[in-house]
Amino acid sequence: MIRKLLIANRGEIAVRIIRACREMGIESVAVYSEADRESLHTQLADEAICIGPGPSSESYLNMERIMSAAMVSGADAIHPGFGFLSENAKFAEFCEQCGIIFVGPNSEVIRNLGNKQVARNTMTAAGVPVIPGTDIPILEVQTGLAEADRIGYPVIVKAALGGGGKGMRTADTKEEFELAFQTAQKEAQMAFGDGTMYIEHFVQHPRHIEFQILADRYGNVIHLGERDCSIQRNHQKMIEESPSAAVSEELRLKMGEAAVKAAQAAHYVNAGTIEFLLEKTGRFYFMEMNTRIQVEHPVTECVTGMDLIKEQIKIASGEPLSVTQEDVRIQGHAIECRINAENPEKHFRPSPGTITELHLPGGQGIRIDTDIYNGYRVPPYYDSMLAKLIVCGDTREEAIAKMQSALGEVIIDGIDTNVDYQFGILENPDYQAGNFDIEFLNTHVIAGVNINEV
Amino acid sequence: MKFKHMFKRTAVKAGSVNSAGNLFAARQPEVPDGLLKKCNSCKSAVFVEEVKKNYYICPHCRNYFRVHAYRRIEMVADADSFEEWNQGLKTENPLHFKGYEEKLEGLREKTKLDEAVITGKVTIGGTPAVIGVCDGRFLMASMGEVVGEKITRAVERATEEKLPVILFVCSGGARMQEGIVSLMQMAKTSAALKRHSDAGQLYISVLTNPTTGGVTASFAMLGDIILAEPNALIGFAGPRVIEQTIGQKLPQGFQRSEFLLEHGFIDEIVERENLKEELGRILKMHAVDGAVKGKSRIPEKADEETSQYISEEKPGQILSEQCLKNDTEQSVKNDGEQSQSGKTETKGMNQIGPKMSAWEHVQLAREKNRPTGKDYVNLLFTDFVEMHGDRYFRDDPAVIGGIAMFCGQPVTVLVQEKGHGTKANIEHNFGMVSPDGYRKSLRLMKQAEKFGRPVICFVDTPGAFCGLEAEERGQGEAIARNLYELSGLKVPVLSVVIGEGGSGGALAFAVADEVWMMEHSIYSILSPEGFASILWKDSKRAKEAAEVMKLTAGDLKELGIIEQIIREEEPLNRENLPEVFEDLSRKIQHFLEHYETMDETALVKHRYDRFRRM
Repeated sequence: MIRKLLIANRGEIAVRIIRACREMGIESVAVYSEADRESLHTQLADEAICIGPGPSSESYLNMERIMSAAMVSGADAIHPGFGFLSENAKFAEFCEQCGIIFVGPNSEVIRNLGNKQVARNTMTAAGVPVIPGTDIPILEVQTGLAEADRIGYPVIVKAALGGGGKGMRTADTKEEFELAFQTAQKEAQMAFGDGTMYIEHFVQHPRHIEFQILADRYGNVIHLGERDCSIQRNHQKMIEESPSAAVSEELRLKMGEAAVKAAQAAHYVNAGTIEFLLEKTGRFYFMEMNTRIQVEHPVTECVTGMDLIKEQIKIASGEPLSVTQEDVRIQGHAIECRINAENPEKHFRPSPGTITELHLPGGQGIRIDTDIYNGYRVPPYYDSMLAKLIVCGDTREEAIAKMQSALGEVIIDGIDTNVDYQFGILENPDYQAGNFDIEFLNTHVIAGVNINEV
Repeated sequence: MKFKHMFKRTAVKAGSVNSAGNLFAARQPEVPDGLLKKCNSCKSAVFVEEVKKNYYICPHCRNYFRVHAYRRIEMVADADSFEEWNQGLKTENPLHFKGYEEKLEGLREKTKLDEAVITGKVTIGGTPAVIGVCDGRFLMASMGEVVGEKITRAVERATEEKLPVILFVCSGGARMQEGIVSLMQMAKTSAALKRHSDAGQLYISVLTNPTTGGVTASFAMLGDIILAEPNALIGFAGPRVIEQTIGQKLPQGFQRSEFLLEHGFIDEIVERENLKEELGRILKMHAVDGAVKGKSRIPEKADEETSQYISEEKPGQILSEQCLKNDTEQSVKNDGEQSQSGKTETKGMNQIGPKMSAWEHVQLAREKNRPTGKDYVNLLFTDFVEMHGDRYFRDDPAVIGGIAMFCGQPVTVLVQEKGHGTKANIEHNFGMVSPDGYRKSLRLMKQAEKFGRPVICFVDTPGAFCGLEAEERGQGEAIARNLYELSGLKVPVLSVVIGEGGSGGALAFAVADEVWMMEHSIYSILSPEGFASILWKDSKRAKEAAEVMKLTAGDLKELGIIEQIIREEEPLNRENLPEVFEDLSRKIQHFLEHYETMDETALVKHRYDRFRRM
């Protein structure tokens, strides 16, 4: 078993990992930037080493310094958490070269899954459904039409060199295709000087459904059910829950099987997440695989009763999985709200500063993962997430009621937060009815805020 | 806030180190040797692989690591083009210095180098060149007899084979163990380079960190073109020695590349990533030179038209008429827009658009948005390589000079630059040239002469800079020297007044075979304000002065001071400047075609006569 673990991260996830270490009898080493001298992870760990100034490029992203800290402290493993170096193949490789355990998959797996094309090819070969699209560059309308027929409408035409929505058009029918293609191509020609186009099936108003998987070194792969992360603002998840109101038992079996197949095809080891887009038709497509622990892992922990961080550490230590797929039971319903230091009324502008008054809810079925405390100063350099509030109830209704009650108890003074905005989502009838997709925040006014209004 | 109380520590599991199932207990993690190295500048650890891939530049602070000689060659030369010369030369230990030979033997073993410099032949961007690269691992690349000998042999062979020489310099200076013999290497290498230069061949030195002592005082500083890597220490006496001698702390940045650039000793600082491309570009520009030179230097080739043109000249005759006729013919050929004699054309020119007063011309010439020299360079030329410095004191930002390509041939371009906007105006000293600026221009003119390139000047100055420092450094001498040397320069010289042609400051860029003016430029003995102030003791009468000074293009054409007026459809600004491109570039082409066919003597005589008549 790992004896001494260095946590190459900060904030609540660092605290979460240190807590797992404390429970497992593993010595913990925190690294911190000069801006995090007083942060909870710095104070809670058995040892703490300063690795540089506030900006992450000079501290939490500086692998040479983190490795030096590991060597100095005599740690035998590094947990990267999420963000920062967690999906950096080069860092994983650096750990391999130094003979220190990286709590996560090996560098080659990270590199392959980080490359969209390689990942897509791997999944296609393994029979995991991917969004149908062209394999060859398209330059003419006629070839495009034939391809669109093969792919199935609606389709989206994208510039090969595209970005920022330029050179992108959707077509719902064959009739619309020609105009859409030509407009997109003209735009692409103007914007990028290149009219090479790709065509993809357009997944309309999908849900973001992801499957948590665990895999050990001995080829055992299991999934722990799904998380519905459809409530997002600009691809930033805000609320996650498990199970999803849109996934039937039958679909769960199918998607779970695909997720396991995906992990196996990638020779994956450790905890990972397969992200799918789920259409209203029930068709689902592989989007990408995240090769790290996720922010929203607690909802899975609540409904499965497992501790994913401990599982990660055990897998990294070379232990086989202690549970089989048959042992996994999804019980109850869990919801997580991310509480951020930001002002929704001012375009979600980050709001660093000192917390002057703090009250956080508690009680049965309520969990808070956070690193804030009364008097804590939120530094301006990092992600604005302050806390994750996770509730677990027998049913979705109970969970929503619990979340509303708990959110209503949250007091964080001194800085702006999105608590009221989150409260607004929980109150929304469409949300309550489980009737939403990834466009939810774009199509609903929440707590008086329309995110499309600038 | 830090909590007053410590969190209680939890028990660490005893014996967990040896628990079953631990795959890694046997091995204590460690960073393998050679994976990381330390950057001496920012002190951080960096990945060796990453540094190697990134031109040996620190990814954190962009500090330049020293590069081994063979790696340097790989970085700048075309793949597999390097052919090494004079391998295995060994010193005879001239002073019989104790322990020296053993020391060298040890170094040879350690570095796998024979000595501190590698020489040979390469191609860069397809152009062949002789290259020499110092390697700091070998006694700090100090220059003993072998270093001096290898460089000298390489230069001699380059001269013989008519190849350019590139030396990558890095050195602590002379080699103490070889004493006076080492000192002599300075003279030997310099002498070889002098011969190389006299043979009309190119030498580029590239100064890298550190370049000091006897090497700085010999081959390092003798390049026709001297490039340097950023932040390289370059100096004669080392900073420590200077500090100890004068008992003072040296300022930040002293003796660094940027300091030398500012002080006029290097042409250009080039980032390591761009060195190959830049060297390739410079070599190419000098490689086509031979052909141009050959063409322009063969007297028999001077065509009939030219000889006729010269023989027809009589003292006192206004040259412009002939030139104009010449041009008129061409204009007829090209667009048929003008068909009358020169003088009529001049009048016609002045009558196009509303007739302007001289003062209006003055104002247009000074207009803020009027294109400056740099705009013309960007408009007319490609591949401009800017060269800095007078090699004495300073780089004058009021003068921009360098080599550029014009219609496939290299030319030396010199402009008096005012800059756009107040900040740039101040930076360029409003186009008022200092002695250092004239000396820079002269250096580049002489360089053009050596390589047989025509010189094209763009004049735009209110006048030479008037100030204490300018007088201290000999403003008068500097201008005079330009007039003197330009009159005998053996390559074609064209001068175009684009804005203000003020006084001797302008003339120092206009002792040319032909002088042209943009329609709304002016050229005068001094500013109308100055004229009024001297003559009438009242600078406010500038407007009146302008009218009597004969400073417009039309007036000067009539006076025979200039050959051509370049028409401005609308008064020029930065936006409509491209409108004159075709006209100007066609005319420059004709100019070059014409004057490049003259042999040196005829060319210089023609220029002499041009001013002799005035």
